[in-house]
Amino acid sequence: MGQVLTAKSLVIKVLLCLAALTVIMGLCTLVGTQKVSLKRVLAGPGSSPGENIDYEILICIRLPRVLLAALVGAALACSGVVLQAILRNPLADPYILGISSGAGLGVMTAAISGISWSFLGGSPIGFFAFAGAMVTVWLVWYIGHLTGKSQVTSLLLAGVVVNAFFSAIIMFLTSIAKSEQVVSTIFWLMGNITGKNLSVLFVSAGCILTGIIVLFTISHRLNVLALGQAEAKGLGVDVARTRIIAFAFAALITAISVSLSGLIGFVGLIIPHGVRLAFGPDHRQLLPLSAIIGAAFLIIADTIARIIVAPAQLPVGVITAIAGGPFFLILLARYSRKVSWLK
Amino acid sequence: MNKWLWLLLTILCLVGGGLLIITMLSDQGSNAATQPTQVNRIVSLAPNLTEILFELGLGEKVVAVSNDSDYPAKAAKKNKLGTFWQPNTEAIIAAKPDLVVTLWFEQQKSVAEAMKRLGYRVLTLKIESIEELLAAIEGIGASTDTQNRAEQLVEDITARLKDLQLKVTPTKKVKVLWVVQAEPLRVAGRDTFLNELIELAGGENAIGPTIQQYPPVGGEQLLSCGAETIIQSAMSTTNIHAQQQSAERFWSRWEALPAVKNGRIHVINPNTTLRLGPRLCEGLELITYCLHPKIYKREQETLQSIR
Amino acid sequence: MKAIIEVKNLSFSYTSQSAVLGTPYGGRLPAQPILKHITFKVIQSRFLAIAGPNGVGKTTLINLLCGQLRAQAGSIIIDTAHIESYSVGRLAQKVAVVRQEFVPIFDFTVAEVVSMGRTPYLGTFGFEGKTDRAVVNEALEATDTAQFALRPLGSLSGGERQRVFIARAIAQNTAILLLDEPTSFLDLKHQVGIYDLLKEMQLEKGKTIVAITHDVNMAAQYADEILLLGADNSYYIGKTKDTFKPEQIEKVFGVRVFTCNIKQESFFLPLGKFAKASTHIKSKLNSKQEK
Repeated sequence: MGQVLTAKSLVIKVLLCLAALTVIMGLCTLVGTQKVSLKRVLAGPGSSPGENIDYEILICIRLPRVLLAALVGAALACSGVVLQAILRNPLADPYILGISSGAGLGVMTAAISGISWSFLGGSPIGFFAFAGAMVTVWLVWYIGHLTGKSQVTSLLLAGVVVNAFFSAIIMFLTSIAKSEQVVSTIFWLMGNITGKNLSVLFVSAGCILTGIIVLFTISHRLNVLALGQAEAKGLGVDVARTRIIAFAFAALITAISVSLSGLIGFVGLIIPHGVRLAFGPDHRQLLPLSAIIGAAFLIIADTIARIIVAPAQLPVGVITAIAGGPFFLILLARYSRKVSWLK
Repeated sequence: MNKWLWLLLTILCLVGGGLLIITMLSDQGSNAATQPTQVNRIVSLAPNLTEILFELGLGEKVVAVSNDSDYPAKAAKKNKLGTFWQPNTEAIIAAKPDLVVTLWFEQQKSVAEAMKRLGYRVLTLKIESIEELLAAIEGIGASTDTQNRAEQLVEDITARLKDLQLKVTPTKKVKVLWVVQAEPLRVAGRDTFLNELIELAGGENAIGPTIQQYPPVGGEQLLSCGAETIIQSAMSTTNIHAQQQSAERFWSRWEALPAVKNGRIHVINPNTTLRLGPRLCEGLELITYCLHPKIYKREQETLQSIR
Repeated sequence: MKAIIEVKNLSFSYTSQSAVLGTPYGGRLPAQPILKHITFKVIQSRFLAIAGPNGVGKTTLINLLCGQLRAQAGSIIIDTAHIESYSVGRLAQKVAVVRQEFVPIFDFTVAEVVSMGRTPYLGTFGFEGKTDRAVVNEALEATDTAQFALRPLGSLSGGERQRVFIARAIAQNTAILLLDEPTSFLDLKHQVGIYDLLKEMQLEKGKTIVAITHDVNMAAQYADEILLLGADNSYYIGKTKDTFKPEQIEKVFGVRVFTCNIKQESFFLPLGKFAKASTHIKSKLNSKQEK
């Protein structure tokens, strides 16, 4: 840390982290409530279901789940990095601009109206969470632009207002809905990593990876944005355009994660801070490393959630909160000691 | 801008191509799976489904159940599969089922989808009303080759319901307040399953039609509703007696209500009433007893024991 | 002699519509224009100092010259093209600005901040090449900040940070360098050092320097031309020795000065009520009168 980043050192770091991630993925796939023998897995799928349950459990249940956790973890961590940069607020998380209440509203509306159109055979609840999140983000952006004076402040305020308003509507809808729908929806929103069919997983993976790559191309501009709007402009950065791209793609990958797994908190907030503390604030490095470490974090959290109260499962959001809370406090203590000159 | 367009096109092509490959693969997959004709290992993901399976005589074939399947006693001893809300897919697979029976809501539906993709035989049932319960029983009967017993069960239930109707129709409707939550006070509204039960048992909801399914009630509304019986579903099934006493204490403030004056406050075990299963009639009879104790004078002792 | 900056009839007032960045006013804004019909030229490779009392529009002028603000009337021409015809990136390759120092929200190191000066020249992924790194090192050496290269920016003193921001502007390698009070927090050694550096940039690299300064004497020593902005939208521009005359200074700043002349260079001592020089001079004048 300290030396200015070079492309070569970044590539090395990324490869090392990817290697660690692969190892973690492998280990976590082998862990679960049922004992699975690797030898039997390698024998291949049986001709009828139930013949090779080791294969079925490892390849068809656990592996997609681990991949999903990796995707969602990467998306949330990247989104957190980008939003903290453009909002210049270290407390920003991916849900700060209305995504959480938007997704909740979309999901509640779908549950109550009984619409069950699904995309690519995925669950309708996921699609409506995505739609709700994107519409809300657009709304927050629009409201934030109406005032126009100080972009960042007005965006944050718009986000707070929209969140509050939509939460009130959600509360109302909760009271008029059938109880089973409501409880089911609320549980879903709490965040869960469950199996998805391959097409949904594939399309989501494509979108999230594309989003992360696009965000990587603007990360050097995010560095400059940290100096302030005026300075950034003076250095040739088109601030408005950078903001729109950052915002749109961060919102996109977050909305996709929410549609896949509900609202999982803390990942988007603490992973950027942790990586920043370890590797420095250069976004060209922060973004890819946060993606990889976020993926690893969520895989581990999900694995713990799966096995800790077997055969039941905890919602993964519980584990991230329990791990995240104290971790954040430790981070804060070390951070403030390190940068004690920042008053 | 050109390079971005190319990038977008490349990505779209890759995604499209990948999708094609995947759909082709999964088509092959579903052809390969064969449907087993004999059902010897059944897995149930909900307590009412477990009760139906046992009632149809399939108790021996049930190999694993959800955590909260507690009736009959044999069911409680079977292997556990995780909670109602989050069934453990791995445990389901490990049980090597020939048939997986699930309910219809989101979390269980996604588990059902996952099992279907693997080629397992899944039966997903929506049970949110009495009609749907009867249809579900027949559905399970059809899937497990126990149609006769299923029909018998359906007939039994229908007969008991008719019997009940005959008993209560001549009586005057009793005004009932069904309390789902004590603090803040919330009751079952007219658009709920509980209301259906109330009406079948010869009662009438003391609260008029509301937008909310489980409306909170204020003091004013409470005093003017004139409830003649108050029913409260027990929070936990362990100490119903203690809950009854605390409920009576709670309501002692509202002396103006006929229900309180006449001491007709009942805390009941929700397992028979709220669980839409084969023991529905017992639960219904219990409710009817609460509303019209005179009809059931003879059976008083047996019904008391259910509480 | 090519004019690298040409300002014609420039008028500007802060209104709610203009993109107000870092306005010193915050809430209610004066309806009166802060700059009215200003016209002047800056010849390439000259050192122009901008001086004037507080609130007269010096920072506003700098903001207009770097494209941060847009004037309501008049035009600004940078290197023979209208300022509005430049894209943000291309303008940043022509004009670098050094504003008041500050601490950015994330703790970048000095080397990283100075490297940001190369942003207008970087490719898609924004990685620096060998030339970029060489330029950055040169800038660090020139401003005597190479010793801090690996330290986080916030751990430096105000003066050290100021030098870092100047290094960043130097790394930006532009033809024009605009500075807003570049030495306000620096000690004497570094004040002189920075002015020497700016002069070096001007003489050896051919850069055009436009610096706002409150230090009348430093301006007099280093600047080729002075732009004096007065409180009533008045302005004077010309060669240093023509513009920096005691009457002029007294009129614009409202402070009496005593001029000392060494050969052709003038130095100005402000005559405050309690300043020691004042009492001596008064007595001298009195004694002169008595004679």
